[in-house]
Amino acid sequence: MFQLVVRHRNLAAQLGLVVALTLAAVASLIFGTVAVPLDSLMDALAGQGNAIHRFVIHELRLPRVIAGALAGAAFALAGCLMQTVARNRLATPGIIGIDNAATAFAVASVVGTGISVAPPAMALLGAAVATALAFGLAGANGTRGYRFIIAGLGIGAIAGAITQVMLSRVAIDSANAAFPWTVGSLNARSTTAVITLAFGLVIGWVTALLLGRSLNTLQFSDPVAINLGTRLTRVRALSLACAVLLTGLAVAVAGPVGMVALLAPELARTLCRAGKVPLTASALAGAVFMVTADMAGRLVLAPLELPVGLITAIVGAPYLIWILVKPTSRSLT
Amino acid sequence: MNDHAVANPLASSALVPPLTVAVFFVVAAVFASLLWGAGPIGPADALKALIGQGSEEARFVIMELRLPRTAIAVVTGLALAVAGALLQALTRNPLAEPGLLGVSGGSAFAVTLAVMLGASSATLTTVVAQVGALAGCSLVMLATRSRGLATDPVRLVLAGATVTGLLLSLTSVLMLADQRAADEIRFWITGSIAGTPFSHLKAVLPSLAVAGVLVVMVAAPLAAMSLGERAALGLGHKPGRIRLLVLVAVALLVGGATALAGPLVFAGLVVPFIARAIGGPDIRKTLWLCLPIGPTLLLVADTLARIIGAPAELPLGVITALLGAPVLLYIVRSGRMPTL
Amino acid sequence: MNHSANTAENLFTPPPLAARDLSMTHGRRPVISALNLELPPGKVTAIVGPNGCGKSTLLNGLARVHAPASGAVLLDGKNIHSLPSREVARQLALLPQDNSAPEGLTVADLIRFGRQPHQGFLRRWTEQDQAILEQAILSADLAGLADRPLDTLSGGQRQRAWIAMSIAQQTPLLLLDEPTSALDLGHQIEVFELIRDLARQGKTVAMVVHDLVSASRYADHLIAMVDGQIIAQGAPSEILEPALIHQLYGVHCEIYRDPADGTPVLVNLRKCL
Repeated sequence: MFQLVVRHRNLAAQLGLVVALTLAAVASLIFGTVAVPLDSLMDALAGQGNAIHRFVIHELRLPRVIAGALAGAAFALAGCLMQTVARNRLATPGIIGIDNAATAFAVASVVGTGISVAPPAMALLGAAVATALAFGLAGANGTRGYRFIIAGLGIGAIAGAITQVMLSRVAIDSANAAFPWTVGSLNARSTTAVITLAFGLVIGWVTALLLGRSLNTLQFSDPVAINLGTRLTRVRALSLACAVLLTGLAVAVAGPVGMVALLAPELARTLCRAGKVPLTASALAGAVFMVTADMAGRLVLAPLELPVGLITAIVGAPYLIWILVKPTSRSLT
Repeated sequence: MNDHAVANPLASSALVPPLTVAVFFVVAAVFASLLWGAGPIGPADALKALIGQGSEEARFVIMELRLPRTAIAVVTGLALAVAGALLQALTRNPLAEPGLLGVSGGSAFAVTLAVMLGASSATLTTVVAQVGALAGCSLVMLATRSRGLATDPVRLVLAGATVTGLLLSLTSVLMLADQRAADEIRFWITGSIAGTPFSHLKAVLPSLAVAGVLVVMVAAPLAAMSLGERAALGLGHKPGRIRLLVLVAVALLVGGATALAGPLVFAGLVVPFIARAIGGPDIRKTLWLCLPIGPTLLLVADTLARIIGAPAELPLGVITALLGAPVLLYIVRSGRMPTL
Repeated sequence: MNHSANTAENLFTPPPLAARDLSMTHGRRPVISALNLELPPGKVTAIVGPNGCGKSTLLNGLARVHAPASGAVLLDGKNIHSLPSREVARQLALLPQDNSAPEGLTVADLIRFGRQPHQGFLRRWTEQDQAILEQAILSADLAGLADRPLDTLSGGQRQRAWIAMSIAQQTPLLLLDEPTSALDLGHQIEVFELIRDLARQGKTVAMVVHDLVSASRYADHLIAMVDGQIIAQGAPSEILEPALIHQLYGVHCEIYRDPADGTPVLVNLRKCL
């Protein structure tokens, strides 16, 4: 009897998020400097109708929506994994330096420091290096507790500074080319990066689902999780590897977009029932959030386009401040 | 005096040797800042210019550019170091740092907003920066007052770092929306004292003097607060009032520093850390030692910013981040997180 | 794993749990050195001792939460660290001291976690799991509270919910770390009686207890530790002597018998001079 309620509630949440994602995607395709009415949209998607509409949908908006949805899902899933492993809702890849390091590595290959590796690979490398460093510096404590997070914070600061140095040392054209990398934007996505991300997302999502039950026990203290037969080291290592993969590939597509990794899992937790780590729901919520935020960025100050990273950061503000001033801060643990 | 006498930990003699050394370093750093720069004036020319000789150009560069810049670095370093020490003592958290805790971020955002709305006078900018700093500070303190944060250094820092990132994002939006304002503050916002006019320093000094008086007032009660608020209450202090005074002092100091140099991270972390390593945990000693160490750090960082990328300049904020982050990592690495 | 032997009605014979030359460290500081111990099966064992004597460390060592520096913990004769963690989880349940749960988790959610070690990769919730869940709710006297979030319960109810999770885990061995700390007297007795009932059903129970009087009232076997060593063990009424109390806590006292059940009671406690 109990578990039927669970299944229904979580399933309903996931279905609701799928509907929301569809709506957000359709709205993103319709609205913009050139409005495409719904019936023209259907025609354009089917490869018929007005040539301008076809161009706008196929060449500009559809790829962007897909990139946004994938990147949002990846950031959010990575955030959910990271939060669970670190047992801290603020411990998202953005905050603990992985985004920044991935960006620094990617910028290094964009601004022509002589590194000819593709940006997605560099971003992945950066994410891995940052996580490994954070791990190494945290010592035997591993991901538990504060050291990991503070170490990540320091690494993020160094990576951010190095990005700045690189950008201030190169010609203005390269610096402009690298700008989207520093704020988070869907403007500069490359098709290869998006395809790589799609594969990475599938791998990450499946792995996360397989780890699901062990991840659920990480919501308790270590002794309880061990008592329930969870192999902590293995679960943590695999989860972190997934988070690194997802974050690195998502940064390669969209740059360091903050807050998605923080807010989407939070929304998913609210929708789903307590006691389970909402992996799929987080990914879906992240996709919805990212697609909507990108649309808002295109529309709010049109024709000026605000990078999606800034929109997510601003939307995150009230929520974060609420966490901070809430008298009982249980939600931080 | 008998054999059981306990040495007075605040005996002024204990502080003399480290202070002497620190002051020596400041003087050295001041000279370094005056003698080395990005331009063609080398140390020898600069020395001549200092004693009134040398070419017209050299004298101009030294007296009109490097000397004011050096003075600004000294004041900024002082203000950030003292603010960091105060915040760390108040939150009893060695990682509490104005740059990380949203104080500098609040200040930078407020200034950007003001510039966008057309503010241009140095006095106004300073006030706006200080109000922004106070808002950032208050946010942090609200968080600290809420149950979990007061006891958990990491949550506080994490929350602060997120708020800082947020405020800087909002600042970016303002800059994107207003090209003119963006051009005006582009260099300042990354943390730099390269273009700060000397008049700004004059505008900031009065409020820093007020902050200085506040610091003198709160130093002793703050030392008692390191035992915990209840203990301080038991010793006859008023924690609520002390907290308020400290916050105002921090806001004045950080706001002033940010008005001069933009948002600088980690300067307020590194200096008190070094001071505590030398003088122990007492906040009064830390404050004394911060006075020479803060300017030294900023002078060194600013000189490096000029030299490393010569003839172009690196943002000062980048240098402080690169100097400060390893200290952060070191604190994390060094066994148990020390509480203050 | 034999599932039929694992139903609540069955009086299982618990596998022996023992420590052989067990040494444990906290960082580099040795906490327990070369300790030997065997838990008497089907009995309640209480581990007592002054603060910092290593009793919690010992319990965590026995529950394979911390690895030993040397020596071994033997579950049914095998090194506990060489056994698959999930298999150990079907034999041994630990209720640690720090047991915070995620916000909004209900009693039933929590207890359901206790079935996790028994669920295979594909085998999900079964009728049998459901029956055990409901049985655990009844045993811990939680009927009517099953759908309440843990954070809305009293301390005693919450602790019973955690014990119910261990019950649902259906292990012959149960280890508890200060199960009654932070509970008032009424709730303490509730929890201790529940623990004693579990032992009567055939479980081997070991618990770290702070209060010597409760320990001697509810335990069949007492282990007294000082500085990481066992200095005495046996039935409480036999080993509790003023000399032992002095060795443990450095205080003088006299020992009376509770007229109702003969439990030792400490009176006239005073500091040594």
